[in-house]
This record gives sequence, structure tokens and C-alpha cells, in this order.
Amino acid sequence: MAQIMENTRYEVKEVVYEFFAEECEVPVSEISDQTNIIKDLDGDSLMFLELIEIFKKKYSLDIELKTIGKYAVKHPVETIGQLIDMQMLIIEHENDILELD
Amino acid sequence: MGIVSSLGLDLETNWSNLVAGRSGIRSITLFDASENQTRIAGEVPSAFEEHYRNYIKKRAASQMTRVTRMCMVAAKDAVNHAGLDFDQLDKTRCSVIIGVVNTGNSSVEKDTTPQNTVFKSMSNSMSAWISLEYQLLGPSYAINTACASSAYALASGFDLIRNNQADVVIVGGADSIINKEEIEGFNALYALSVQNDPPEKASKPFAADRDGFVIGEGAGVIILESEKHAHKRGAGIYAELAGYGLSSEGYNIMAPMKDGEGMSFTMKKAIRAAGISAEEIDYINAHGTSTELNDRYETLAIKRVFGARAKKVPVSSSKSMLGHTIGAAGTIEGIITILSIYHGIITPTINLFHPDPDLDLDFVPHTSRKQALHVALSNSFGFGGHNATLVFRKY
Repeated sequence: MAQIMENTRYEVKEVVYEFFAEECEVPVSEISDQTNIIKDLDGDSLMFLELIEIFKKKYSLDIELKTIGKYAVKHPVETIGQLIDMQMLIIEHENDILELD
Repeated sequence: MGIVSSLGLDLETNWSNLVAGRSGIRSITLFDASENQTRIAGEVPSAFEEHYRNYIKKRAASQMTRVTRMCMVAAKDAVNHAGLDFDQLDKTRCSVIIGVVNTGNSSVEKDTTPQNTVFKSMSNSMSAWISLEYQLLGPSYAINTACASSAYALASGFDLIRNNQADVVIVGGADSIINKEEIEGFNALYALSVQNDPPEKASKPFAADRDGFVIGEGAGVIILESEKHAHKRGAGIYAELAGYGLSSEGYNIMAPMKDGEGMSFTMKKAIRAAGISAEEIDYINAHGTSTELNDRYETLAIKRVFGARAKKVPVSSSKSMLGHTIGAAGTIEGIITILSIYHGIITPTINLFHPDPDLDLDFVPHTSRKQALHVALSNSFGFGGHNATLVFRKY
């Protein structure tokens, strides 16, 4: 289980916002926690996986994609804010995320 | 309609270059071909690398090969050209069929990540991307019948409309085999021209000194639509697809059936399906590859179908200018046939400086010809014996 620091959420948010701005070719200023990833940004599911890879490296996480997949099926993500929340849970609980259910 | 080819990135540029009898064949720049026997091809101009960015978002583009991007550009141009607004249409009755031999995910493809490898290789990716772009809900699929792929796509789209399964079908083809490995492969089969200098003179269908085809690349897309639907939305109609003939030769994986028997059978089948007679045909856009066998047998096949009238029917090969665009050829040449009927201009067979005495039809050498056309054939014959003839009629 990784330790969440005071600024972790800020870091995650910054990475997520910049990632979507870059990949979807929209200014960061047009992204908010309420932004819908598919409808508003024309995003795709692969982006979620790419972000997980980024955070796996950044925080040296012990997490398997199939674990996240099982969790995501029960807790679908639609908005940027929901995605940040899930990333925070992944960072905090790693492979134990399924035990939250 | 939309075309991306060695002769231009849009329909108008392609047409004006074809009418002018220009060649798109140049020395290969996509990779170092200095060790290859064949060092020339009809490459799409490098300006395409900037051009496509006006059509495709960066992320989607990263999941596509260069060829898939060509297909997307041609498809979006065709949709715009046809004045289609899919939000006003029943999307369950809008389909996509793309003829594709391979997606071009070869050694010349750049910046492929492990995640994008699958997307770039999927032969259905082009039809899928087009359906995604417009959120179309009708059937969307790919057809592979080698060099006849996109002619088969047109035939399949025709059937969807005729069988009341669709109102609008985005039909096309896209291909590129300009890469070291496939050129080596085709050289090993003695199928490619090795007359590298000057490049623009190498593709010479029906000429005595032809020595093989020249590889081209690109994409062509046509909007097929039912007459009723087109009238309802006030669309401009360029021509009618009056019918088609498809056949398999069951003969050889590479060589066409002796004396063009399969080719003539296919043309006759198409003419019959269109409910017309051979006497009504006033132009043939030939498969005309510049290989020894195709050009000989296609000539014999035309003579068999048209009899004494064969020498009076103009026959020209667009491949003399574009090279052989493989899976895209059926649609690109279909578009050229449609525009020939629409404008009353037959595009030429260039590089026919030394006529083959055995091939004695009217091949419209060197320069285009003004002539009113009413019904025209477009031939496509693929490796494996996949034959297609399309019949287009003036509307």
C-alpha cells in the first residue's frame, strides 16, 4: 500500500489534465473534473491504461491491469474527476483495491 | 468522391493531372531502396504528412498507419463532396465497405508503439475508423480480393443498396506495398518493372517494351447512394453504377487464365447484369498493369467480348500514370471512369511509345481525348484469380 502525501492528489490531477490536453488537443483550461472523457474530449479507453502505466512508473506501484479491470467494471469512469478519484485509490491500495468492495 | 494518390491529395488535382497525362512515378523516398532491383514507385507526395493533420486528430492518427490516414482523408473529402450530413440521416442505414489488401503496417511505418501495433494491423481498421468518425450504425467491413479488393467493395455496396439494407454506403480502397520486403517479394516473382530510369516512363501498359507493373499507393472513396435517397436530399449525381460481374478463375495463384478467358467471362457477366449489350459500351478503363500476361490477356479478352468492334472501343490504363495502387485500384479507377463519363474526357495511356503489334486496340496513347461517354467498364483482376468488372452509366 503506497503512502499518499499531501500533494499527491495535486500531482495526479496535474498529470491527468496535461495528458488529456496533449492527447485530445484541447487547452488545459477547457478541462475540469466534470469533463466527460468520451463525449467532451473524444477520448478512448486506452487512455486509461496509458495513465495507469504512467502512474505505475511514477509511484512504483504494485498493481496488475486485470485487477484494475475488475474494479473498473464495477466502478465505471466517465469524467475526469472520477478518473482522478480512481487513480488515487489505485495509488493508495494497489492490488488490494478489490477489497474495497 | 475523394482520392489521395501520387498525383495529388484531392480529387480535383488528381483529375487535372490525369487529364494532362502526368506520371506520379518517382524514385522511392520512403526507405533506402538502393539495394532493391526496383527503386521507383508512385508515392503519395510528402506534403500529405501535413495535409492529413487537417482531417485527423493527433491521437487517432497515432493509431493509424499512413495508408489508413490516406483512407480517412479520402473518405472525409468524399463525404464533404457529396454534401452528406449524417446527423440528418438514418445512421442505421449508412454503411462502410473498404477494399484493403494490407494496412501498410510495414517496415516503413514510423512511431508504432506496442499498443498501436494491433490497431495499425487490423485490416478492418479503415472501415471501423470511418464508422467511428460519423457514428454510422450500418454494416462496416473490409474486403480483400487482392488487386480487385475495392472493385469488390463497390459491388458489395451496390448489393447493400439494391437489397434495401442501406441508403448510403461509403465505399473505398486504400493500400501501399511500398516497402523493402514486398518489393523484394514482387521482384522475386518478376512482376515489377525494373526500368528505374527515368521513373515516369516505367509504367507502360500495352507497350512492347513493358516489363512489369510499377507499385503505386493511395486511397479512393466513393459515396454510393440509392437514387431515391439521393433525390430526396438533393444530392448531385455523377453517374449510375449499373451493375457488376465478379468471378474466380480457380486457375493459378498468380497468372491469369490463358488467353483472358476468365477476364472475358467477367466482362460478359457484368454487361449482362447491367441489362445492356456490348454494343452500348463506349469506353473501358482497363486493369492494364504493364505486365506481359495481363496486358496480352486483357486485350484478348476485350476482343472476345466485343468481336469486330473491339478496335473501336477506347481502352486506357490509369496505371500508366498512377502505378498499381493494389487494393485501392478498383475504387480509384472507378472514380476515374465516373469522371470520364461525367466530363466526357478519356484519360490516356501514357508511355505507349512502342506499341506491341499483338496488342492492337485503341489504347488512347499519350494524350486525353474528348468524347461523350454513356456506358463504361472498369476492370480489376487480382492475384489468386479474383476478377471484377464494374459498369458505370451516365446519369
